[in-house]
Amino acid sequence: VTLLHRLLSVVRWIARRDRVERDLDEELRTFIEMAASDEIRDGRTPADARRRAALQLGGVEQAKERVRNDSRAAWIDHIVQDVRYASRTFRGAPLAALTIVSTVALGLGLITAVFTIFSALYLRLDAVERPEELFAVTRPTGPGATTTLVWTRTEYETLRRDSTAFSGVLAMVRGVEGRVDGRHVSGSLVSGNFFDVLGSRARLGRTLRLTDDEPPAGQPVIVLSDRGWQKLFARDPTAVGGSLRINGRPYAIVGIMPEDFRGLSRVAPDFWAPLSLSDDVHQGATAKSRSGEMFVDNVVGRLKPGLSAEAAASALTAWASANAASGMLRTIGGYPASVRLRPSQGDVGGALTLFTPIFVAFGLILVIGCVNVANLLLARGVSRQREIGVRLAMGAPRSRIVRQLLTESLLLSLVAAAGGFVVSRLILESAFYFAMAEMPPQVSEGVNLVPPLADWRVAVFLVTGAVVSTVFFALVPALRATSLQLIQTIRGEVTQYARPSRVRHALIAAQVSASVLFLICAAVFLRGAFAATRTDLGLRTSDTVTIPIISESTRAAVISEVSTHPSVASFAATSPSAGQVALAAVESITDGGAWQTPSRPGVGYQSVSSEFFRVLGIDALKGRTFAPAERSVDAGVAVVSFRLARRLWPEGEAVGQAMRVRVDVPGTTRSAARTFSVIGVVETVESPAGPFVFNGADLYLPIGLENAGVSLVLQVHGDPEVARRALLRRLTEIDPALGPISTLQTATRMTAYLLRMAFWVTVVLGGLALALTASGLFSVLSYLVAQRAKEIGVRLALGATPRNVVTFVLWQSLAPVGFGVVLGGALAGTLAIYLLLTVGARIKNMIHVYDPVAYGVSGLVTVTACVIATAIPAWRAARIDPIETLRQA
Amino acid sequence: VPVAKLDIPQGTLDLMILTILDREPLHGYGVSQRLTINSRGEFVINQGSLFPALYRLEADGTLKGEWRPTENNRRAKYYRLTAAGRRQLEQHRQRWSRVSLAVNGVLDGAS
Repeated sequence: VTLLHRLLSVVRWIARRDRVERDLDEELRTFIEMAASDEIRDGRTPADARRRAALQLGGVEQAKERVRNDSRAAWIDHIVQDVRYASRTFRGAPLAALTIVSTVALGLGLITAVFTIFSALYLRLDAVERPEELFAVTRPTGPGATTTLVWTRTEYETLRRDSTAFSGVLAMVRGVEGRVDGRHVSGSLVSGNFFDVLGSRARLGRTLRLTDDEPPAGQPVIVLSDRGWQKLFARDPTAVGGSLRINGRPYAIVGIMPEDFRGLSRVAPDFWAPLSLSDDVHQGATAKSRSGEMFVDNVVGRLKPGLSAEAAASALTAWASANAASGMLRTIGGYPASVRLRPSQGDVGGALTLFTPIFVAFGLILVIGCVNVANLLLARGVSRQREIGVRLAMGAPRSRIVRQLLTESLLLSLVAAAGGFVVSRLILESAFYFAMAEMPPQVSEGVNLVPPLADWRVAVFLVTGAVVSTVFFALVPALRATSLQLIQTIRGEVTQYARPSRVRHALIAAQVSASVLFLICAAVFLRGAFAATRTDLGLRTSDTVTIPIISESTRAAVISEVSTHPSVASFAATSPSAGQVALAAVESITDGGAWQTPSRPGVGYQSVSSEFFRVLGIDALKGRTFAPAERSVDAGVAVVSFRLARRLWPEGEAVGQAMRVRVDVPGTTRSAARTFSVIGVVETVESPAGPFVFNGADLYLPIGLENAGVSLVLQVHGDPEVARRALLRRLTEIDPALGPISTLQTATRMTAYLLRMAFWVTVVLGGLALALTASGLFSVLSYLVAQRAKEIGVRLALGATPRNVVTFVLWQSLAPVGFGVVLGGALAGTLAIYLLLTVGARIKNMIHVYDPVAYGVSGLVTVTACVIATAIPAWRAARIDPIETLRQA
Repeated sequence: VPVAKLDIPQGTLDLMILTILDREPLHGYGVSQRLTINSRGEFVINQGSLFPALYRLEADGTLKGEWRPTENNRRAKYYRLTAAGRRQLEQHRQRWSRVSLAVNGVLDGAS
């Protein structure tokens, strides 16, 4: 039979279905009559004859069902029937359907929100030609080393000129920050061939050319990304040909890139500018080599067609060795120059290891929800036993009914998938809004978090998720519901009690442990956030603003503006800027007379003016701080932190001692040793834990405002954020290229902010997990009590007290709850050990992973919720009237 | 003592139905009667399989069903072979004779 035949038979079946049904009905009747009349001829009574005839056929309805099932087109009918049947069932029990849909929608929505972000970051391909040919060119600093040697511009140019392995090599510096009309923008500096090597065309105008990027100074032209175009020009097409002032300098906009071009970054920068503009755009802050050469952080080559990455890498290594020998390439520590190639298009595997814990955490809610739904379906399977039994008796094969039950569940899941999409959008929109609104203002003006849009991958994910969830929550209940003993079922005897099984206990324990784990994390984060706002860093952060001074030409004007600005109470000079230290070596110290050499000479120092300690509220513990007249190292005085005093003079008195320190000579690359006498000991400044590192100095040397290269710290009146904005507006008029002005408050608040966000994520997940667990416990237990009313009634009649009954019912669930709480705590503890072993150094000042309060409160909340959820069914069980129950039986 | 009847060997039901209907068009009951008689009472068709097979063969275009009055003046659905059905029967037959020859050969060799 050919495929065409099959198709035709399907079409015929559909076209003639009604006639076939009529035919079948009449034909079977004729069959019975013929067989019966033969039986009568053999001498049987008419009634007996008909019975035997029907028996010979194996039942009329059963025979029909077999013909229907045997048809090649039956599946189409089955689907239509199943869907109709399912919608009748839903109308019959709307509450159950609604519960299933909303539970699954919530779970799917949560995990889809995570997937949407993951997909936008890692699965969307960058709009470049043949991305598989692009490789990042790196130079490892040693055999098997993970660190690499950065390329200088000259080294890159050498590679570009010499390379035979590549059809083109591009260079890029990411994360160039600037201001446009007070708004923060970020860009990438790229070599002139960047767009050509990637094979990407502009959507409007043109891309950058080699001539735009001719050293030493490139053309002041930029190309906008779709993001930047949207942000700065609201997608106005006339922007091309116009100009944009970045840090006060004008740049001609020559082109706009399409939306799906991100230029080898996860998120597209606002603009691309020629590499040679580095000094202008980057406010001179680009890292440079000792010889003043510019570094480029990314060098990416396009392999010539047909060349393997291995062959190219070995050719490049040979090239590197030759150039290292001639001094064209730098090397490190005598390790022979080598080149490694890494596929430059996103590493999805690595991203997955990062996202897996997040997926697991969010997926747990879906799993917990599915467990609830499975329990609900198991319970409903028992109440539908009669209906299912009748269908089985009417000749429906078991597979047919299992399919029917699965279709019902799948329909609900697909509705839930649609709901899940809405949920995921709501979650993303509100989470991003919340994250932006809560962010310290100084940080939020620099970032622009926009919830990623859903694409076809999200749709596929949702539908797949719905199908997988269906299998997860519906298969076992469907199989259980159809394994019946027919006779008892039709008589109306329920043959299965949903007895508390080991599986169900294990599921409850797992649900509870997940809830506890989430809640412990939430509590740890919350307490960390509180601690972060209260930590004493040894200086005042509430009213402090810092201003880095970059341009020597405008320094005097900036200082004069600051000294007269109404929001400034007082200010001091520092070098380097507040929060950074320079390194010095303590060569020798006196301790009561004789000179000696300290065991650890390295020390972080900062040159500060006399007002510094008062501006930042750093108290002198012993001696005094600098006098206004002490304005340079020539004064020969130094102030040390309490920490350094303890280190250098563990027993003795620091004030009055002398120390010889090798410090940098200002304006040169030389250093010189000088002798200082210690005049005071001040409080140690600690860095707040978290993303903002604020290094406190251990050694302070005097400096004056008039010195070159000083930055400012300001004590301001009122809200430091208001003052910061006022100063930013005023000072960028004087120096448009002024670096970031920031408040010290931001540094401490950022830590608290991150912990608060982590708290909200985990507390929402924990709350949902707990709510689902408790509602699952409640509904299953209520159902069990209803099912076992007879048994409980008998117990009561035989003399059990209501108290016994409550204990009996509670024990059914509270044992696994208790086990779950312990397991959850143990999981949290294991996670804590893991974190301490891997990233311990970074988190140990932010959070206390073994916070007993967090563990205690979370366990208590979980147990309370579960006890409440079980107490109501237990109370109901205790009120069962034995007489009434026994009479019903 | 009732003697156990033989089950119809797998895959041969179609062949037997087609052979019976090749001689003359018959209704469902007629097919089942003829099957019992021709197999000398050894085969009793599970009627649950007969109608699915007839409907399937009809849907494939191997058989064609027509409603006609019987000799007792009842209306019954008579099945007859189509041209395609005849070709199929020929194929089925050839395959069957090869199979039975082969099986007999093996059995003879064993004795």
